[in-house]
Amino acid sequence: MSNKSRNTETNSDRHIVKEPISFGRILTYVVLFAGAIIMIFPFYWMITGAFKTYQEVNLIPPTLFPSNPFNLENFIYAFKTAPFGRYFINSVLALLGCITTCSFTTILAAYAFSRLRFPGRELVFSLLLSLMMVPYEMIIITNYRTIVQWKLHDTIWALILPFMSSIFYTYILKGFFDSVPESLYQAAKVDGCSDWKYLWRVMVPMAKSSLATIILLNSIATWNSFLWPMIATNSKDVRTLPFGLYAFMTEGGQRNERMMAASTIVVIPMIIIFLFARKYIISGMSRGGIKG
Amino acid sequence: MKIRLENIVKRFDDNTAVDDFSAVIESGELVTLLGPSGCGKSTMLNMLSGILYPTEGKIYFDEDDVTYMSSEKRGVGLVFQNYALYPHMTVLENICFPLEIKKVPKKERIEKAKKMAELVHVETMLNRKPGQLSGGQQQRVAIARALVKEPRLLLLDEPLSNLDARLRIEMREEIRRIQLETGVTTIFVTHDQEEAMSISDHIILMKLGVLQQYDKPQYLYDQPANCFVADFLGNPPINKVEGVVKGGKVLLGPNEEDSLVKVDNVPDGTPVYLSFRSESVILDDKSPLRAKVVLTSVMGKEIITSFVLAGKEVRGYMNSDVELQRDQEIGIRFKKTGVFVFDRESGERYL
Repeated sequence: MSNKSRNTETNSDRHIVKEPISFGRILTYVVLFAGAIIMIFPFYWMITGAFKTYQEVNLIPPTLFPSNPFNLENFIYAFKTAPFGRYFINSVLALLGCITTCSFTTILAAYAFSRLRFPGRELVFSLLLSLMMVPYEMIIITNYRTIVQWKLHDTIWALILPFMSSIFYTYILKGFFDSVPESLYQAAKVDGCSDWKYLWRVMVPMAKSSLATIILLNSIATWNSFLWPMIATNSKDVRTLPFGLYAFMTEGGQRNERMMAASTIVVIPMIIIFLFARKYIISGMSRGGIKG
Repeated sequence: MKIRLENIVKRFDDNTAVDDFSAVIESGELVTLLGPSGCGKSTMLNMLSGILYPTEGKIYFDEDDVTYMSSEKRGVGLVFQNYALYPHMTVLENICFPLEIKKVPKKERIEKAKKMAELVHVETMLNRKPGQLSGGQQQRVAIARALVKEPRLLLLDEPLSNLDARLRIEMREEIRRIQLETGVTTIFVTHDQEEAMSISDHIILMKLGVLQQYDKPQYLYDQPANCFVADFLGNPPINKVEGVVKGGKVLLGPNEEDSLVKVDNVPDGTPVYLSFRSESVILDDKSPLRAKVVLTSVMGKEIITSFVLAGKEVRGYMNSDVELQRDQEIGIRFKKTGVFVFDRESGERYL
């Protein structure tokens, strides 16, 4: 048995070796490598810059690596002058608030549009889809008026409330729900399963990877959102990281190494999340039907 | 459980899918709903399961009127063509699911599910996901899931059509075995006549929403109620030659050759079909009814001969010691059984 598998292994090895290293292949890798450098370098520059001193940052020619890689002065300064800890907590609160409420409403709405029969279903759904064409900047004005009227501006709620539902994510999830065979629903129904139970016990677990995609996209969007927090919040207590970073830049003057440190603080959590969950971004988006 | 269907009508907009359907299904039987696609058999099944409600008519389970009762209260088990197993649950969880909904305690649930798994022979793969099973195994799990809540009625909607030919024969025998072991009244939907013939106690043959015949499989074959039933059943298909009735005799083709088949009480000049099974032809050189051989093919244990009779190519199993040659003229006559005369327009049977 083991002998056999070893044989096939060597066979396939030989197969790979035989394949000539073509010019096209080399070119592909060169282009990919160049692309990767272009994408990664700004991040590298940001992170290394955060560890440099004021003199070192302004050196010409610049150093590729900080002379003292344990220089945490810039981070300490950033945390001292601006409450990045507070910003971070605000960002996390807004993020959790948005993804829990939005995922919940998205699941319910997607299920309703996909499985429940009610008059005007198609009409309502196409109306919602057409709303996606309205530019975000236009909604901001009305949203701001609403938030102010409800006296919720400059609170965490202002950051969560407008994002408690999403047409786009509903559309993605509905697409997945539509691909689940009707017979699964009928089988559950015949067994006496309620719609509510069917949704949470069958549909949602099956849609795990679609849901992961939605939560991930939503997290990135919420974490990076800048325009709305800038408009809806004022005080340092409710600022989120991106707006806090902007304020730090305008208030702290042109000290590049400090800005790099602050930026690193903002970006690191998202990079970590992305590294863990990147496979879902692609698989969830491309996932269509399921094997029956 | 005895099922009584009374004058069931189902319309979709202007389209009548089932028309005035009445039948009684006896307790503990396996009855097949058979018919070509679009004949209303699946609609009928969905009305029995409560997924659809009839437009008119009544459905009784024993003495209970269940016509408009919702699915979950009917106590039916349903098996789908595509199995409809929950892909994210293991085999055991799948079988347990109907009990979970009924809020059966977990211990009892697992006990019952395991017993069911043993019945359908999937007890060794309880922890696998449906995606890791073959089609036949998935079908077994689907049957176990349908049976675990001890339904009064088991409904199978074309359960074998996704399987390959060999598995299909194995699974249909399995379904029959499981049905006999549990004694559950079962309704089986299929378009495959061979499948229906091999496992059913009774067959209901449908065409365009209308019940054609409800009988034991052998009767359906031996005594078809009309031309459609005769055409639908049998492999090779029944032979059909156009003819006309004159003086109680059936005369075939444009030359009105005497087929030696007699019918009573049919007016002269009635256009008819003479239908006969391939096994109902006898070679008889003295017979005045002549035919011309086209082709003989050896089918292992028997020889099937194609020949032209009254201008129409037909087939018959010939017991002949002489080898028949192409274009050879032969005399034939028909046996008493397997020969029918149908009205050419209405399909009504005269003989």
